[in-house]
Amino acid sequence: MSSTTPAAVDPNRTRNRIFVALGAAVIVATYLYLILAQPTELAEGGLGTSALIALAGYLIGAALIAVGAIHRLPTATLSLIPIAIVINIAVGQLAATLGLPVYLDSIGTVLVGVLAGPAAGAVTGALTNVIWGLTIGPIALPFAVTAVVIGVLAGYAARLGMFRRFYLAPVAGFVTGIVAALVSAPIAAFIFGGATSGGTGALVAAFQAFGNSLLASTTLQGLLSDPLDKTITFTVVVLILFALPGRLRSRFPFVRQYNVFGKVTPVAPAEPAAPKA
Amino acid sequence: MTDPSAPMIELEGVGFAYEDAERFTLANLDLRIDAGTVTGIVGASGAGKTTLAKTIAGFIPLNEGGTYRGTARVAGRVLAEGTLSEAAAAVGLVTQNPFNQISGARFTVREELAFGLENRSVPRDEMERRVAEVAARLRLEPLLDRSPYALSGGQMQLVAIASMVVMAPPVLVMDEPTSQLDPAGTRLVYDVLSTLSDGGTTVVIIEHKTELLHEHCDSIAVLAGGLIVQHGAPGAVLADDRLTTWGVGETRVTTAARLARERGLLPVERALPIGVDDAVDAFSALKGAAS
Amino acid sequence: MTTTTLYLERTSALHRLNPVTKLVALLSIILAVFAVPHWWIPIGIVVVVIVPAAVLGRVGGRLLRLFLILLLPLLVVLFIIQGLFYPDGSTVLWEWGLAQLTTEGLLFALTIGSRLTALVLGSLVFVLTTDPARLMSALTQVGMSPKIAYVISASLQIIPAFQARAQSILLAQQARGLAIVGSPLKRARALLPLLGPLILGMITDVDERSTAMEARAFGATPKPTSLIVVPDPLGERIARWVLFLSAIAVVVLVVVGVIA
Repeated sequence: MSSTTPAAVDPNRTRNRIFVALGAAVIVATYLYLILAQPTELAEGGLGTSALIALAGYLIGAALIAVGAIHRLPTATLSLIPIAIVINIAVGQLAATLGLPVYLDSIGTVLVGVLAGPAAGAVTGALTNVIWGLTIGPIALPFAVTAVVIGVLAGYAARLGMFRRFYLAPVAGFVTGIVAALVSAPIAAFIFGGATSGGTGALVAAFQAFGNSLLASTTLQGLLSDPLDKTITFTVVVLILFALPGRLRSRFPFVRQYNVFGKVTPVAPAEPAAPKA
Repeated sequence: MTDPSAPMIELEGVGFAYEDAERFTLANLDLRIDAGTVTGIVGASGAGKTTLAKTIAGFIPLNEGGTYRGTARVAGRVLAEGTLSEAAAAVGLVTQNPFNQISGARFTVREELAFGLENRSVPRDEMERRVAEVAARLRLEPLLDRSPYALSGGQMQLVAIASMVVMAPPVLVMDEPTSQLDPAGTRLVYDVLSTLSDGGTTVVIIEHKTELLHEHCDSIAVLAGGLIVQHGAPGAVLADDRLTTWGVGETRVTTAARLARERGLLPVERALPIGVDDAVDAFSALKGAAS
Repeated sequence: MTTTTLYLERTSALHRLNPVTKLVALLSIILAVFAVPHWWIPIGIVVVVIVPAAVLGRVGGRLLRLFLILLLPLLVVLFIIQGLFYPDGSTVLWEWGLAQLTTEGLLFALTIGSRLTALVLGSLVFVLTTDPARLMSALTQVGMSPKIAYVISASLQIIPAFQARAQSILLAQQARGLAIVGSPLKRARALLPLLGPLILGMITDVDERSTAMEARAFGATPKPTSLIVVPDPLGERIARWVLFLSAIAVVVLVVVGVIA
């Protein structure tokens, strides 16, 4: 008698860890460089190398994390991701069609992060943006790093127990939204000049008119929309997962390992009937 | 392993309960299936047929969390002691829903059929040959350049079956392989399975259309309450009067004959026919008695 | 092929190129455009390289349409924000309340706008002329993980099926009188019953989907063979390196200050 969880031996384990660590370091360094070093350069007029660093640093960082993370995922987790990406895109488009004031384009990413962990969330986020790029248009692609961050944070929030109570998940969503806003602000500023869409552009213009720098303006604009969007997204995800039978949720090894949905008393199956002679 | 009389598939005291389930889906189950035969598995829905299929293929316990006991051997080897990849090489499993069986990793039916061979590093020219061969057998040639997702449910099911047949595993386990097929497609699949079994492949089919099993199987096993409660020649199993208590439907010929008997059209002492041939015999006997 | 990508099936030299070559060319262009701090470089590349490539690939009409739908609105917004509200503008050309039209603002908008145009149009030409199936095969051939190819390919193919499913669930709800008009909160409520079945399906199907992949030996060998081989002539491989190294050279020259 045995309880089984498939375990794959990964020959490139060290390499993949280095990729992920390097990717995270590149993203953090890119962000710090852009907020610390650029204001002076920007003040002298022009953009300097900030646009190149924002684009290249974030894309390389996101790609390193996605590549390092995907190798760690077993097939069972991998086969969850395409459906999650499709949920991101279908619901994101629907929210836009319905004219909702939030994006709702990361529900699948958060779901995967919660059910299968930060690595799976990161891969879902990164590849969602690749799919957006191939299907709708390449505008979303520079924001891949934000999607990676959302997937990773959803995974860690689940690990920390933020999905054990339905009222904790929105808090995790709010925090994730703040981080997402901070991370994406340099992209919105240095690659799009604040013009990611009409509505957000108006906000950026207003913040600039009141004397804020470009980066400060896109940061403020992000802080107005991202925390709200992620709070709603995390709430939707926790409500749906709570409505599912516990047996379905506990199919995922990550959920069992980190007790993502709180204490469940393991059920011992009753002894089977004796074989007939 | 070298003993030719040893069964190809041998389950001894196999039990399995899913994670957090309150009861064992399979309970101390014994089953022996000989090499090169076609075996049908029947049982009520929820009897554990799919679980049994996954257990024979080694996916339980290798890919499924839960409580597992007993020993399952295929060709003398205990699959549970190896890797999933080794199990998949020994037993080809076609799951129920063709939509989920399509890998999605490839954009045309041709490449979808080759996908498993690619993953086994089969050389390209051999791949091309085997894909062409299986496509011809299951009449998939007109679909080869189409997207697998643009197909009808029945076509998708044929592609799912073909994509496993092309890998030529020594044992083929199919979970309701004809659920979405029309009669012509169903006949095609069973013809291919017969040919495979003539070539030495051991075929296990989960199917609730008992007529088909009666016609094509060497033996039928009945699954009820997590146990194999009956296993034998199709005629004997389908004539068992406990069939309906196990939740297994009798053949339509049997149903028709039973109704005929209730109306006094068939003698009570005669066993009810199961297949079309038996029915013809029964009617001939009737004519002989009348004249 | 039924996918929802922007790809247009045509016969052209650009379509025949190995997708990896096109991807490297695209990345090299983006790198150069974002490194050089002059607005006329991206505009020049759009005029001299990207638009002719679109014409050569016989996707010029579609590119123009996508430009009008996707990019033009952004450019208009960009020029309004940065032209009128650029924080560091000093040379005021025109003034109205808080809005100040400045030379610096216009120049900034021009720099960002020209780069954005090159980035978006270049990527669009790539996507419009590259069959995603061929792209995945070619990238796997040069060493991309089959796992990435699997996720991207499967997602692209499942999108149409899911959109149909979402549409039918939405229609069913409208038939039952669920409002999809009214306040945002009301409209958002229409989403929840739609999401439930989609997510339930995703979780219940995952076992069967992964079993199907395992049964096909996915990941069994690190070196799978390939039924379809995308030709990768030596000339293209050399061209890729030349393009990539040139782009790097441009970046280096900018960083050390030779190009300013």
